[in-house]
Amino acid sequence: MEATETTILCATRGGEASIRTQQRAIELAKERNARLVFIFVFDARFLEQYTAPRVPAMEDEIQKMGEFLLLMAKERAEKAGVEADYTVRMGKFRSSLIEAANELEASLVVLGRPADNNFTTLDYLENRLSSSITEETGAEVMVV
Amino acid sequence: MRKHLWRYGLALFCLLAAIWLWLPDPGAALSQDERAEELPALIGHLLNEQGQAIAEAEVKVFFDSEEEPVAFAASREDGLWQVELPRLPENTVSIEFHHTHFSADSIELEGEDVAILKQGESLNLGEIEVQNRYAPGFWVAAFTFLFVLLVIALEKLPNATAALLGVAIVFVTTFFGGNLISEDLHIFDFERALTYINWEVIFLVMGMMIVVSVIESTGVFQWLAFQAYRWSRGQPRVLVVVLIIITTMASALLDNVTTMLLMVPITLEIAIALGLPPTSLLIPEILASNIGGITTLIGTPTNILIGAYAEISFNDFLINQTIGVIIALAVMTVYVLWFFRDTFNQVEKGISPTLYAKLEENAQIKNPVVLRKSLFVFAVTIVVFAIGEGLHMVPAVTALLAATAMLVWVETDVQKMLSLVDWTTLVFFMALFMLVGSIQEVGLIATVAGFMGDVVGTNLYAGVFVIVFGVGALSFAIANIPLAASMLPVVEYLSGNISGAVSNKILYYGLSMGAAMGGNGFLIGGETNLMTAGIAERAGYPLSFGRFAKVSIPVTLLTLLVGSLWLLFRFEILGG
Repeated sequence: MEATETTILCATRGGEASIRTQQRAIELAKERNARLVFIFVFDARFLEQYTAPRVPAMEDEIQKMGEFLLLMAKERAEKAGVEADYTVRMGKFRSSLIEAANELEASLVVLGRPADNNFTTLDYLENRLSSSITEETGAEVMVV
Repeated sequence: MRKHLWRYGLALFCLLAAIWLWLPDPGAALSQDERAEELPALIGHLLNEQGQAIAEAEVKVFFDSEEEPVAFAASREDGLWQVELPRLPENTVSIEFHHTHFSADSIELEGEDVAILKQGESLNLGEIEVQNRYAPGFWVAAFTFLFVLLVIALEKLPNATAALLGVAIVFVTTFFGGNLISEDLHIFDFERALTYINWEVIFLVMGMMIVVSVIESTGVFQWLAFQAYRWSRGQPRVLVVVLIIITTMASALLDNVTTMLLMVPITLEIAIALGLPPTSLLIPEILASNIGGITTLIGTPTNILIGAYAEISFNDFLINQTIGVIIALAVMTVYVLWFFRDTFNQVEKGISPTLYAKLEENAQIKNPVVLRKSLFVFAVTIVVFAIGEGLHMVPAVTALLAATAMLVWVETDVQKMLSLVDWTTLVFFMALFMLVGSIQEVGLIATVAGFMGDVVGTNLYAGVFVIVFGVGALSFAIANIPLAASMLPVVEYLSGNISGAVSNKILYYGLSMGAAMGGNGFLIGGETNLMTAGIAERAGYPLSFGRFAKVSIPVTLLTLLVGSLWLLFRFEILGG
């Protein structure tokens, strides 16, 4: 495979809806001859209300689970002939995504549509989140 | 060195001298006793309408129409009061009882009773019942308690904050309202509130948190789950059964939230590896975790509360409850296997070697040495829990010994270990005890107990079914810890009405089963359920209220029925 310079960052997780997002990101990576990086962001703060002292240890387990989910996505991409990698981040979705996009110098960020087409979530992804990612990273954003 | 010895010796001498001076003069005590022997006393037992003891009631004794009382005392925790008379009465004796939450009452003594006192003999007036009084303080405490339950159920505030807010309302009402507006707003003072905190529960929970945090850090439960995946050889039914057994075992020894925290990520990975919807493994695990926790005294906070309140030992739970819980788990397992029969028939082929290696890596034992040591300490702890009863050693002491052994021998970083103690939960318990104490103090629990007593009467069968199903139904939506804490005095009252229930404590076991099994009813019924759903959703596998309820409601009703029947079989047919 030829070395590629552009990077596509695809935010994903497990589940049927995410597989569609991953497939679309793989297609885009092929079209643009880009490197594909899958990202899984988990905000573990909600666990603090159940058992605050165990959250740090729990983050390790979540990290492993995220790596497992993304390894599947990576295999899927490589089977399609796309160079792929993954990263798992703990924290708020928006800031973690922007941080990763800047670090990886991503030219395109791919986000999945909500499975239930929830209007509020879709509006957030397509407008507020997309514009702030573009503003802070210079990357194009696609909601697929 | 000699200088230090001299200094410490002097300090020790001063300390001993101070203690000696502080001790009361035995001669003075003797003369008081002698004086008491000469003059009579009035004794009685103050009870509320439900026959429960009234503590801290003011008892005043008046002689012969005098305006000032000749003596007074306060009733003790068990309702007993004793007034030493300073002199002998002439014609009549009047005794007045005062308590903020009960109607003032008085008793007039004359004739024979006064004659007995005049002879210098003490008089026992037996049980004296006073009526509940629904003063403004009663309503403030009642609404505050309901408000806190609602806030916890709706997750508007963390549990500990909600309980502390409730206690704050009670104290503000007592100190500001009671002193500045009306005495009727008095609920209880701080000293009285502290008496409601069950320190045995606090220390048992704290000790076990330290023990558990060492064991869980080794990754043993994740390793067991992975072994279950290997043993099952891709057969989902076998896998589900083994995962239920592992979750039950973990839950019997650890608290439910910790159990599921450990199990959820690896279960998700295993489900994905098998091509199963993760919820088909997570739902049985949630159900097993909530039910399995009540197999032992230490498996769930509600059992710890019940054990400490009703003096039910580790062995008592094993003997009287464990078999029933195992039968209920078996019924639950059969049901979930039936419910997910189609899902389990559609297993996809296995995962790639890379993914399998990742799964295996994620489920490795992290520190085998710590695991060996901690399992040894834990095994000894279980033995000491079992034999501790014979040594009159309460479980809290065993837990503290186990925690100390862990800190001394296994994981010596005390700062790290203490940071793993969930202080928020301990604060929640303390605040909750005070809050429940406030509704107990104003007579709300006694009123509820009286109402339930009218329904149940003296019928054991009715008592068991009302407690198991009633508490179970409430646990569908109400957090089971505050529910169990507030139901304990009610169960105590109901047990008193039913022949044999005080000694065999059957209704307390019913409370344990109802609170735990009922928590399975709805997704909002327990923290374990919500936390699992939260992690699953964030991983991309949402667990909806409806999907959970389709499995959980039949399982809850079945297990509540099995639990009730087991208790009746255990105590009515086997006896004990």
